Amino acid sequence: MTAYFIRRLLLIIPTFLGITLLVFIITRFVPGGPVEKILAEARQMKMGHVSHGSANTPAQTSPLSPSQIEELKKFYGFDKPVLVSYWEWLKKIMVLDLGYSTRYYDPVWDIIRDKLPVSIYYGFATTVLTYLICIPLGIFKAIRHKTMMDSATSVVVLVGYALPGFIVAIVLFVWPAAQWDWFPLGGFMSNDFEDLPFWSQVWDLLHHSILPLIAYLVGSFATMTFLMKNTLMDNLAADYVRTALSKGLSFRQAVFRHAFRNSIIPLATHFGNNITLFLTGSFLIEKVFNIDGLGLLGFDSLVERDYPIVLGVLVISSILGLLGNILSDLCVALVDPRVSFE
Amino acid sequence: MNWNPITLRQLKRFRSIRRGYYSLWIFGIMMFLAFSAEMWVNSRALMVYYSGQWYFPTYGDMIPGTVFGLDYSYETNYRELQKKFEKEKAGNWVLLPIAPYNAFETDLDATHFPPHPPSLEARHYLGTDSIGRDLLARLVYGFRVCILFSLMLLVINFSIGITVGCLMGYWGGAFDLIFQRVIEIWSSIPFLYVIMIISSMVVPNLTMLVLISVFFGWMGLTWYMRTLTYKEKARTYVLAAKALGAGNTRIILKHILPNSLSLIITFVPFSVAGGISSLTALDYLGFGLPAPTPSWGELLQQGTNNLHAPWIISSTVIALVVVLVTITFIGEAVREAFDPKMHTIFE
Repeated sequence: MTAYFIRRLLLIIPTFLGITLLVFIITRFVPGGPVEKILAEARQMKMGHVSHGSANTPAQTSPLSPSQIEELKKFYGFDKPVLVSYWEWLKKIMVLDLGYSTRYYDPVWDIIRDKLPVSIYYGFATTVLTYLICIPLGIFKAIRHKTMMDSATSVVVLVGYALPGFIVAIVLFVWPAAQWDWFPLGGFMSNDFEDLPFWSQVWDLLHHSILPLIAYLVGSFATMTFLMKNTLMDNLAADYVRTALSKGLSFRQAVFRHAFRNSIIPLATHFGNNITLFLTGSFLIEKVFNIDGLGLLGFDSLVERDYPIVLGVLVISSILGLLGNILSDLCVALVDPRVSFE
Repeated sequence: MNWNPITLRQLKRFRSIRRGYYSLWIFGIMMFLAFSAEMWVNSRALMVYYSGQWYFPTYGDMIPGTVFGLDYSYETNYRELQKKFEKEKAGNWVLLPIAPYNAFETDLDATHFPPHPPSLEARHYLGTDSIGRDLLARLVYGFRVCILFSLMLLVINFSIGITVGCLMGYWGGAFDLIFQRVIEIWSSIPFLYVIMIISSMVVPNLTMLVLISVFFGWMGLTWYMRTLTYKEKARTYVLAAKALGAGNTRIILKHILPNSLSLIITFVPFSVAGGISSLTALDYLGFGLPAPTPSWGELLQQGTNNLHAPWIISSTVIALVVVLVTITFIGEAVREAFDPKMHTIFE
């Protein structure tokens, strides 16, 4: 088992190299050659996006300055072949040097570290809430299969499943927040957060995060609930539950002591994926609610063509994603004694 | 044509799942309406009767104003023409579509700035967007773009996914191993993020956006096809076919593929829904199709930027909810009909 996980951990390295090399090559794909061409391209790209809206981003009003182009060129080593500059970049990554932001001139790692707490807060809260809601709801639906309540919740859950999280986020942003004024218009906390007494701080944080959390939840919610329901139903029909019942266990005991334990195994396979939720896929919701997390950072740096940050966010999210997969396997191995990865 | 009895049974089961069956009808009607949209949401008239002659401007070349005795040679403004004919009372008439606007023209009001709220009188049934384009027209033609994108994506993704997955399962060995690694790397790339990187460098058109999305999204079906082929390959009918002298191509095309079809079908609706959501997300962020293309994502963005014009967001979100929910209902029903996991129920 340990050998298996060590092997898996080692396999992260080639996969990581593959991902970053690919993206590195893509970012180098800017129609190469003279700087003029890059500049022209950048200008043209901006023209295309201005009419798309989001005029509040400064990149679209100020074109890339020559010094920035120079900076970019130097950073990627456009004069050198792709593989050489990739190798140079990689050498720096290995000592955790993600380079400098071409926009802020701060170390990329510092910028990312500043945003991490927000992303972790949301990732963590979403994970906990998903499990807290989906497991009881799944159990309830399995035991009350085909009753009114089961069908009613099914429709609700399915509608949630059909809609991408950011659409839900937009709905929540426009009505409860903007039109009805029940919640703040985005952001992570109020501006006067520092001056508030403790409980007001807690309330402020909650008040800001209720809507985004709902949006985050909607996605993972349906899959988990149905997974819980279906596996529990299968297990309830299994012989060992019948045996337990005939030996005099109450139904409640049979469900919670026997069937339940076996039913959370498939849920465990999803556990590691939550790690990616901390970062990727969340930038849409972060964008809607203007939450200053890693997702928004990655998005903004894309808009502003701050490639060191783009690559930095990618490095972190891909490593977390790969670790998440392994974590999922580990969770399965922990809950299911039958599993052995040999 | 002889229908396979299993297929017939699956279709019957699908029909019996009401939610999915009705959703399929609704979705079919929406598709029909979207692809015949020129007939009912268009700035060109359906029919014009002018001095004893009939004109049908809907499809075909544009008709310059001079044809109808107007003093300009660019495309006729049929709404004006209708008003003019009505005033003249010379027996000429214009039959306009229900919503007489196309998705690109800006209808500016001298007294107010756009966005204009919904109005029956101006025939902007859903209002206009922030530069005065008719919202209904944007929605309808945007839906068409969305569906076209999703369907193109579906066809290409599935062809690649099925081919590669099938070959991985069938050949096994080194081919399988190499592609396993490739897919592992490919699917760990944050898909939307990379598409954003690419389309921040080049402004893609529809075909290009499809190709970029395919490039990072073809793996979906491959895993399933691979395991499925492995399973089917080991079954006796394949051995029997081999013993009878069937070649590899024949075995794959005539035996393995038809037998995996029912699983493939269950992925179709979800793939369409996925295509719609990812195009909407990309357009919302401004990394999708170039500017004048009608798109739902762009409407969402306008809506969130113009909170004083809630009709933009309302119509767009309702349209999205209707489309995505019907597709999901279809998908659930198809899955239940074609890939039944008969739940043993505890009594």
